[in-house]
Amino acid sequence: MRLFRLCVATAPLLLAACGSKSGGAASLAYYETYDPRSLDPALSTDVPTGEMVSYVFDGLTAFDVNGKLLPGLADRWTIERSGQRYVFHLRPGVRFHNSRPFKAEDVRATFLRVLDPASTGGRAWPLYPIAGAQAYAARQATDVRGIQVLGDTAVAFDLTEPLAIFPKFLAMPVVSIVPSPAPADLAAHPIGTGPWRFVAWQHDDYLLFAKNPDYWGGAPLADTLSVRIIPEPLTQAAELEAGHLSAVEVPFGEGARWRAQRPAWLQGKPALRVMYVALNNQRGPLTDLRVRQAINHAVNVPEILRTVWDGRGVVARGAIPPLLPGADTARAGFGFDPAKARQLLAAAGYPDGFAVQLWRSSSNIVLGRVAQAVQADLEKVGIRVELVERDASSQRQAARSGKADMALLDWWADYPDADNFLFPLFHSGNFGPGGNYAFYRDPITDSLILRARRTADDGARTALYRQIDERVYRAAPWLYLWFPVDLWAKHPKVEGWEFPVISNGQRWTGVRRLP
Amino acid sequence: MIRTLGRRLLLTVPTLFGVLVVAFLLLNVVPGDPVLEMVGERADSATIARLRAELHLDDPLPAQFGHYVWGVVRGDLGRSYITRRPIARDLAERFPKTVQLALAAMTFAAVTGITLGVLAAVRPGGAFDRIALLLSYLGVSFPVYWVGLLLILLFAVTLRWLPPSGSGGPTFLVLPAATLGMRSVAFLARMTRGAMQDVLSSDFIRTARAKGLPELAVVGKHAFRNALIPVITVLGLDVGNYLTGSLLTETIFAWPGVGRYVLSAIAKRDLPAIQGSILFLSVVFVVVNLLTDLVYAQADPRIAYD
Repeated sequence: MRLFRLCVATAPLLLAACGSKSGGAASLAYYETYDPRSLDPALSTDVPTGEMVSYVFDGLTAFDVNGKLLPGLADRWTIERSGQRYVFHLRPGVRFHNSRPFKAEDVRATFLRVLDPASTGGRAWPLYPIAGAQAYAARQATDVRGIQVLGDTAVAFDLTEPLAIFPKFLAMPVVSIVPSPAPADLAAHPIGTGPWRFVAWQHDDYLLFAKNPDYWGGAPLADTLSVRIIPEPLTQAAELEAGHLSAVEVPFGEGARWRAQRPAWLQGKPALRVMYVALNNQRGPLTDLRVRQAINHAVNVPEILRTVWDGRGVVARGAIPPLLPGADTARAGFGFDPAKARQLLAAAGYPDGFAVQLWRSSSNIVLGRVAQAVQADLEKVGIRVELVERDASSQRQAARSGKADMALLDWWADYPDADNFLFPLFHSGNFGPGGNYAFYRDPITDSLILRARRTADDGARTALYRQIDERVYRAAPWLYLWFPVDLWAKHPKVEGWEFPVISNGQRWTGVRRLP
Repeated sequence: MIRTLGRRLLLTVPTLFGVLVVAFLLLNVVPGDPVLEMVGERADSATIARLRAELHLDDPLPAQFGHYVWGVVRGDLGRSYITRRPIARDLAERFPKTVQLALAAMTFAAVTGITLGVLAAVRPGGAFDRIALLLSYLGVSFPVYWVGLLLILLFAVTLRWLPPSGSGGPTFLVLPAATLGMRSVAFLARMTRGAMQDVLSSDFIRTARAKGLPELAVVGKHAFRNALIPVITVLGLDVGNYLTGSLLTETIFAWPGVGRYVLSAIAKRDLPAIQGSILFLSVVFVVVNLLTDLVYAQADPRIAYD
C-alpha cells in the first residue's frame, strides 16, 4: 500500500522504479525520530535536517562512515601562509539537479547566505574563522573580505588565524553548497549537487528521494531512498523486523532479545559522543577541586554502564572519544573508591556531605535511571542529591544559564576531531550556550586549546589534545561517565550499509537491497 | 434555529480570545527558550542576540501579543520560529489525517461498543454479558501504549497482515483506529448496556411485547432508539477529544496528525506554533460541541434550545 501511494504521489518520476519488478528490491528505507526542521542547509542545526541535507547536497569536503575527511565539491585544497589561507579547487563538470553548472560563485553566495542573520539558521560558527565573516553576520559589513572567488574553478579563504581543522568545518551540512541565487522555496524543494534528488516530503510522515544518475561520485546503487518519520523506538524496530526499514538503532531494553534472536543483524560501533554530568565549577561546594574529585570516586560508573546503559559503552577517562586521535585509552582513571571520596570530602570541609541538585531531562527514560543511580551512589558518601526533572528545553536553559549545580548531559560531535570535545566544552569563552556547561575556567587550558587549533602538524596537535584532556581530567570539571557504543541492526537483505560515526557520514550511495 | 446558532457562535469569540490570552501568558512564563532550541547544542551569545532580534522576541510582551492578535484577526497564524513555515499550512496538512483517524476510531468504537452493549443487555447475566463486561473492563484498564505495541507485534511483525505504522491506504488505519477506539468501545458498551436495560424494563416495552411484536423489533426499534441519547453524549465528547489529536496513538503508529505537531512545538518552545495550534484546536472543540448539541435536538424532540 505504501509503495502504491508513493507511486501515485511521484508517478512521473518513479514510474520505472515502482512499476518494474525491481521496485521493492531497488528501494532503501531509513527513518528519523522527528521531522527535519527544513531541507535548507542553512537551517540544519538538528540531526534529521543534517542527514537529509547530506543526501541532496554536497559540501566542499565530506566525511565517510568512519569520520574520515574526504574531498567533496572541492577535489583538492592547498594550505598557504602556514595555515591561514586555504585555496579550494573545485571539481569540474559538476551540475546541480536542475542542470545548472556548479561554479565558485555558488560557494561565496552560499556562505554569505548562511552568515546572513535574516536566514535565521543560528549555526554560522563553522564560517566564523574566515576573516570578516563575523562582521558580516553582525551586519557591520556588506561583504566577507576573507572569501575570494578565483575564476569559476577555485575559491580562497583567508582566516583570522591559522586553523588546521578548517576543512572539517566545511563538511558540515550547514555549509553545503546551494545554487546561487538560492530558489525561494529551497527549504521545501531543495536543489543540490548531491547523490539523491528530492522527490516528496509529507511532514511527520516520510521523505522520498530518487537517485541522481549523474552524480559526480557515481550514481547510488538503489533507485530510491525513503525516510520515514517514526518517533517510537519500538515501532522503528517493528518496522525493521517487518522488513520495511533498512536499519534501525536497537531500542534500550531490547538489546538482550536481539542479541539472542538476531545476532547476525547487529552492528556495534563506538560513537563520537560522550555522556557526562556537568559539575558547575562556579557553584557552592562544587568550586572545590577535592569535592569534584570525590564525586568521581564515589560513583560506580562501570556498574551503571553495565546495568542501566545495557553495557553499550566504554568508561570515559577523559572527554575525547577513543576513535579520535588525542584520546588516551590507557589513562589512569579516578576509579570507584567511596572511602577515598569520603576522605576528600572531609578534607574539603564537608565531612557530613552537602545537598546539591542534579538536573536531568525527562525526555529520556534511560537517562532518568542513570541519574537515579548517580544519586544513590553519591548518597552513600553523604552527598544528598535532589533530582530535578524537567523537559529537555527547561533543563538546557538552566544548565546554560548556570542555574544548575549538576546536569546530566551528552555531547555529540559536529565534526570528527578532538577539538570538538575540547574547545566548546572547556574553553572559558564558551560558557553556557557555547557548550561549556561546567563553567570550567583555566587560563592554561584556554591557551593550550587555542594553540592546538593553530598547530598545523597533526602529530603535534594530537599530542596537545592529549595533554589538554589529561589536564582537564585531573581538574574533574565533570563526573565522567562513558563513551556510548551504539547498537544498530541492519536488515539482512540490505547490503553495504554501515552505521556512520558522524551523522552525515552515511549517504547511502553504496547500499543496495537484495531481491 | 439559525438565531440560536448565531448566538452560540458569537459567544465563542470571547472564549477564544480568553484562550489566546491564557496561552500567550503561560507560554511566556514557562522556562525554556525557542532560540536555544533553534541553534542546537552550540552557539555564541551574539548569534543568539541576533536571532532574538530577528524574531522580535525582545519586544515588550503587550506589543508581541498585539502583533499576534492582529495577525490572527487577519487570518494569519504566523510562521514557526523553528521551521519558518506558515503554521496555518502545517495544521491544514495534518488535520485531515487527524480527522481520518478520529472517524475510523469512532466508527470502530460505535459499531463494536454499541453492538456489545445491546447484545449484553438482551440477556443480563448471561454468558455473552459476562464476556462483554470483561472485555470492557480490559479495554478501560489497558494503557494505550501497551495495547498499541502489542497489536503491532501481533498483526504486523508476527502475522504480517497489516503495516506496523505510517499512513496510506485503509490498511494503515486498522491498528491505530482499534488502539484509539478501544477505550471508547469499553465505555460505549457499558453505557449502552445500562441504557438498554433501563429502557427494556419500562412499561412501553412490556406493552410492545404484549402486543406480540417480534423481539427483534422490540429491542432493535423501540428500545434501541430510546437508549441512544446517553450514547450520543459519550460519542460527542469523544469526537472532540479525538479531533484535537491523540498523542500516544499518533506517536506509536507514526501517524502524522496534529497531536504530534503540538507535542514537538511544545518541546521546541516554538511559541507561534503552540499558540496557533491551541487556537485552532479550541475552535475545533467549540464547533464539535455545538454540533453535538444540535444532534441532541434532532435525536430527542424534547430538547429545545430557545
